[in-house]
Amino acid sequence: MRVLIIEDEARIANRLERITRSFFEENLSVLVICDSLQKGIDYIENQPIDLLLLDLNLNGQNGFNLLESVVAGSFHTIIVSAYTDKAITAFTYGVLDFVPKPFDQARLEMAFKRISIPTKGVERNIKFLAVKKAGTVRLIDISELHYIKGAGIYSELHLQNGKQELHDKSLEKLQQLLPDTFERIHKSYLISLAQAERILIQPGGRYGLLLKTGEILPVGRSRYKDLKDKMI
Amino acid sequence: MQRLFFLLAILPFFISCKSDVVYEEYPVLYQNGDSILWANKNYDDSAWATRQTSSADSVFWIRTRIKILENPAAMPGVQVNAFGAFEIYWDGVFIGTNGKVSDKNTPEIPGTEITYFSLPDSLSRAGMHVVSFRASQSYLTKEQRGIYVKMDLYKDLLTQPLIITSLMNLMSGAFLIASLYYFFLYFNSSKRQWTTLIFAMICLLFFALLILEFIKFYIDIPYTQFFIRLEAIGILTMIIAVLVPFYFTIQFNFKRKKVLLGILSISLIAIYVFNYRHYDYSAQLYSICMLISSTMVVLTAIRQKEKGAVLVLAGLLCSIVVNKYLVYDFGLFIGFTIIVLCMLYLHTIRSRVIEDEYHSSMLLSSRLQLELVKKNIQPHFLKNTLTSLIDWVEESPKEGAKFIHALAAEFDIMNTISEAVLIPVRQEIELCKVHLTVMQFRKEINYQWEEFGIDEAEFIPPALIHTILENGITHSIPIADCGIRFSLRFVKTNIYRQYTFETIAENRIPSRHGKGGTGFRYIQARLSESYGDNWEFSSEASPTGWLSTIKLYYK
Repeated sequence: MRVLIIEDEARIANRLERITRSFFEENLSVLVICDSLQKGIDYIENQPIDLLLLDLNLNGQNGFNLLESVVAGSFHTIIVSAYTDKAITAFTYGVLDFVPKPFDQARLEMAFKRISIPTKGVERNIKFLAVKKAGTVRLIDISELHYIKGAGIYSELHLQNGKQELHDKSLEKLQQLLPDTFERIHKSYLISLAQAERILIQPGGRYGLLLKTGEILPVGRSRYKDLKDKMI
Repeated sequence: MQRLFFLLAILPFFISCKSDVVYEEYPVLYQNGDSILWANKNYDDSAWATRQTSSADSVFWIRTRIKILENPAAMPGVQVNAFGAFEIYWDGVFIGTNGKVSDKNTPEIPGTEITYFSLPDSLSRAGMHVVSFRASQSYLTKEQRGIYVKMDLYKDLLTQPLIITSLMNLMSGAFLIASLYYFFLYFNSSKRQWTTLIFAMICLLFFALLILEFIKFYIDIPYTQFFIRLEAIGILTMIIAVLVPFYFTIQFNFKRKKVLLGILSISLIAIYVFNYRHYDYSAQLYSICMLISSTMVVLTAIRQKEKGAVLVLAGLLCSIVVNKYLVYDFGLFIGFTIIVLCMLYLHTIRSRVIEDEYHSSMLLSSRLQLELVKKNIQPHFLKNTLTSLIDWVEESPKEGAKFIHALAAEFDIMNTISEAVLIPVRQEIELCKVHLTVMQFRKEINYQWEEFGIDEAEFIPPALIHTILENGITHSIPIADCGIRFSLRFVKTNIYRQYTFETIAENRIPSRHGKGGTGFRYIQARLSESYGDNWEFSSEASPTGWLSTIKLYYK
């Protein structure tokens, strides 16, 4: 686990570091603290990370402008901020969690747990997926999503208009962010249940899902029962 | 305003008032010397002069004819305008005197300029009549004004001036009250305004002018003092003619006040000199000067888009029309009244503006108070402080307690100063120092504070330096080993007091020190609140860090 902390208050940064180290223990391979947004962005551009702990208000600069480009990255973002009123907006952009200041160890660890254990019942307000394209960041409304196909460490977003976009986050990470109406039907497919027409049983004991558009996607054997329950 | 319309509506009746006695006038003839025969109706005066040529001691006679065309409906009367003393004869019958004509042994008792005499029915039937006067003019002998005779019903001769006077007194009473009101307003006002005083003066002068003009109807002024009143009226008119444009120049922010008023004053004096003793004409010219200069000011005001200028222009035009088409006595006063009413209206507009400014300044003050209180409860400060505090308490309870004390001290000072507009500079410094202690716990940066030449007797708006300090903390990177140093200097000269506050550190890039941050707006608003326009604030990078300067000028 490679963690980057962007926080300009030394005491708080140290606290974040301490809690992070105690949580991840030996799983933590890298932990870096940057005390300004610019330093943090430079770091992200040059070094791969898995998790970003970000303060939204640094040295009088509004970190919100950067949120779009940060959430488009391959890593999960946890906002640690004093501005609790920004939490809802942050969630719509697809952050993993929003930890309001002042925080204790338990609250931060709860956020960390969301990385490994997909927590059910947590309110997910994500409205957009941010996609990096030709140096700019584009926001895609998740209602435009048709289905998502895993492609190694990336994901392919198949949109309802037939277009495709590449997202830096893995299918696992996106599933953690997306609401429960998105179902993993296969190790390589995540779909919006609203798009599903019916389950097909194909020759050879294979299962398929017929989409409203007529496309057929494979359904994993282990996920068939789960999906069948949800479809009825 | 309604009264004015009423007056405007009613005045034409008086002016167009034709005599109820139908008669024809004949030329007035003069003859020096004295003979009672000259009173006779049939005396042949064809050799008499048509102009008065009397000398100081001599008695002289005046004769004129009046042809009454119809028998009058009621008792007729004669109005005589003349200088001197006289006995009046109607068809040779003595009907009255005005003063006492000089005799060899007794000096003349001067009569008044205007007199009225009633005529018995027996003398005033239709037909030709002769009016003759036995007169003397011992004083003001250079004023050979001659004599004017006018006929009307006796009752009308007496009541017409009364009606006019009553209306004019009504008007002058209004101006007296207005004048008193604005004088009181000026002297009891906390913010004394020039315009209020000028307006009160104009109202008072105008009251005096009206009283003086119409006093002739109820006080008998001997002809020897006739000019004193006119002289006084002339001077009053002249002063008003300067004050009215002056008032407009102030109200409408006219830029070349001195030039305009200079030219106006010179032309008024010139008019006075060149038309000496032509009182009515001079007054007419004064008012024309006043109207022209006022119109110039108002036209400029309209171009500058000043509030109320269009209405005043309308008033001025109205006044010009009235001045031109009504007989002098009324025209001038009605014109003046219209102008004064315009001024009154303007004054209320300005009062409204001042009232609004006052309210908005009150609003600003309370907004600034709120801004100050918000400094310590805004999430960025409070939540970060609390997060650090939790950490200190968990890690090192003793240090945590110190942190809590520092925070309590900052809150205490903030609480004390929150409602103040100005606080002792020492209190401000204490606030800064305690804030640094809090920030040191949060940022774990070594902050140092230095001060030079602080005058303990000085006051400054609350949280001014605190705000600059906050900016310094936010936008600076500590220099290795030295941390960040803050240095406050105070300099006092005859012209200004100056605080310079330097943050000695490395500036962050990109730095948002530039103008327009909320912190700077707070500083500027606070400075304006306490010092009006007499301050300067600058904030810029310096070789060693960042330098902010607050300059407070003495008025």
